[in-house]
Amino acid sequence: MRIETIRVKNFKSLQDIEIGSLPPLCVFVGRNGTGKTTLFRIFAFLKNCLQYNVRAALNREGGRNGYREVVTRGHEGEEIEIEIQFRLDIAGTNRLVTYLIGIGPTDAGSPIVKREILRYKRGRYGAPFHFLDFTEGEGYAISNEEDFSKRDEELEKEFQRLDEPHTLAIKGLGQFARFKAANAFRQLIENWHISDFHVSDARGVKDEDDTRHLTATGDNLPSMARFLYEQHRPAFDQVREKMRRHIPGVDDIEVKVTEDGRLLMRYADGTFDDPFIDKNVSDGTIKMFSYLVLLHDPSPHPILCVEEPENQLYPQLMISLAEEFAAYAQRGGQVFVSTHSPDFLNAIELNEIFWLEKHAGITQVHRAGEQGLLQRLVQEGDRPGYLWTEGFLDSRMLQETEIDEG
Amino acid sequence: MRGRVVFLLEEQSMHNALQGLLPRIFPGWQEYTHWVAVPHQGKSDLERSIPRKLKSWRAPGDRFVILRDNDGGDCMALKARLRELARHKPSEYVLIRIVMHHLETWFLGDFDALASGYPEHDLTTLRQRAKFREPERLTNASEEIEKLIPGYRKTAGATRIAPHLNLARNAAPSFGVFVDGLRTLTATMR
Repeated sequence: MRIETIRVKNFKSLQDIEIGSLPPLCVFVGRNGTGKTTLFRIFAFLKNCLQYNVRAALNREGGRNGYREVVTRGHEGEEIEIEIQFRLDIAGTNRLVTYLIGIGPTDAGSPIVKREILRYKRGRYGAPFHFLDFTEGEGYAISNEEDFSKRDEELEKEFQRLDEPHTLAIKGLGQFARFKAANAFRQLIENWHISDFHVSDARGVKDEDDTRHLTATGDNLPSMARFLYEQHRPAFDQVREKMRRHIPGVDDIEVKVTEDGRLLMRYADGTFDDPFIDKNVSDGTIKMFSYLVLLHDPSPHPILCVEEPENQLYPQLMISLAEEFAAYAQRGGQVFVSTHSPDFLNAIELNEIFWLEKHAGITQVHRAGEQGLLQRLVQEGDRPGYLWTEGFLDSRMLQETEIDEG
Repeated sequence: MRGRVVFLLEEQSMHNALQGLLPRIFPGWQEYTHWVAVPHQGKSDLERSIPRKLKSWRAPGDRFVILRDNDGGDCMALKARLRELARHKPSEYVLIRIVMHHLETWFLGDFDALASGYPEHDLTTLRQRAKFREPERLTNASEEIEKLIPGYRKTAGATRIAPHLNLARNAAPSFGVFVDGLRTLTATMR
């Protein structure tokens, strides 16, 4: 999956943003409070809408007053709209698909899904074709979408009424194999990885035999490491080699199988320590290990979101870490990262960088790659991280410099 | 006024100082509208950056000010080197000023401003000391201020003191040379 465009309206400080032509690796910077976390919450919000329902998802974002806390101040009368455009294989054809939801309160005040559409354009011209089209809990989905050559009137529309107007149609219909687009999209969202890593959760031993992916909190790190070791040895060997290279004192990581199959980390002095119990292993070491395990997952997540991966890690590590994220994006997963680290940014291309600003409470998103001055500076030898430190990722800085363009 | 003044600075503390100082030299001046600052991570970072910035900058009418501390060497040679680094823009568009020796020297040169920035410290009895009459003879102004104001920090100090600087009278001549140069540079902007 590859998201090409994100459009959001009336979601907290994201009153009206559109970010298009998103690259496989997207890095977001911005001062504190400009809306980076809010932007990342969009992914979690959509996932929660699908996993639970819109009300529960709103409550997660805004507490008990859900909708009223989440909708942008001064825009309470409008709907929260989220639209994402992405590439998706449906019945063997790669399509540019749009999914959009509009959320608003009923007359009684409780939030429902006002509108939900999954569509694509059949040709360059003509009206978009709707796989799925629901308004306030009622609508239809196409059940013979594999036959793209059929004319619209020959397509089989199956009308449905959802049990609850605050659940998503893709949740209900996505369970059925015959609604292929809804089903595919539902599975994609379910596989988004929105990192909420806590070192304290990653410590300690949990016995899980069916681990295939690292969890959002990282609390199955030991079993995921073991899974790589047992099922995907080349990936594990890469993680081991990179740990040895990057973390001083880590001589090797060996799976010295204890009775309960735990993973041991061997130090330069040759003694064995249990990395997930031993308090002598630093938080940073565990964090780097978990990133490497996450980024060497043999089946990459369609979307990977990580906020401020630099925390607890030393600056020289940033180039390698940034390159690991870029490599992951190349292998098929799209990566969204936020950072404050100039060192991390230095390893990122200008067209992969977006910066956020907030004016009068409203977030703006700017694309570094389309600024002529920034392009020229990088051409002359500046790196994006320097430009961030020097204050160039700021529209006020750049406002007057483009007069003489061309 | 068309165009802006772009200050290429050695470090953040000078940026903070300019925020307090420039609106006093040019009433109504606002950051980003009339001027912008590019703080660097020290002398070598600044010098590496100068040609990149001047080559890349295209806004017509913008003027540039390069401010660098004297590192105890030959002031004129340093100025010539910076001029060479700035060769990508017409020399009348680029003001090069050497701070003798540090921003803090300018603060020591205006004891009233220093005292106004730190009203909680009683500095009145210290101002008569001979060494503060010619602060450019001191090479370690920061340390001198630190002795007067324990716990002094450069950026916070610049924010406190700079708004009080007397434009017409400073015992550090390089301050007056900077202010005069800035007035000349901007006089040609319309």
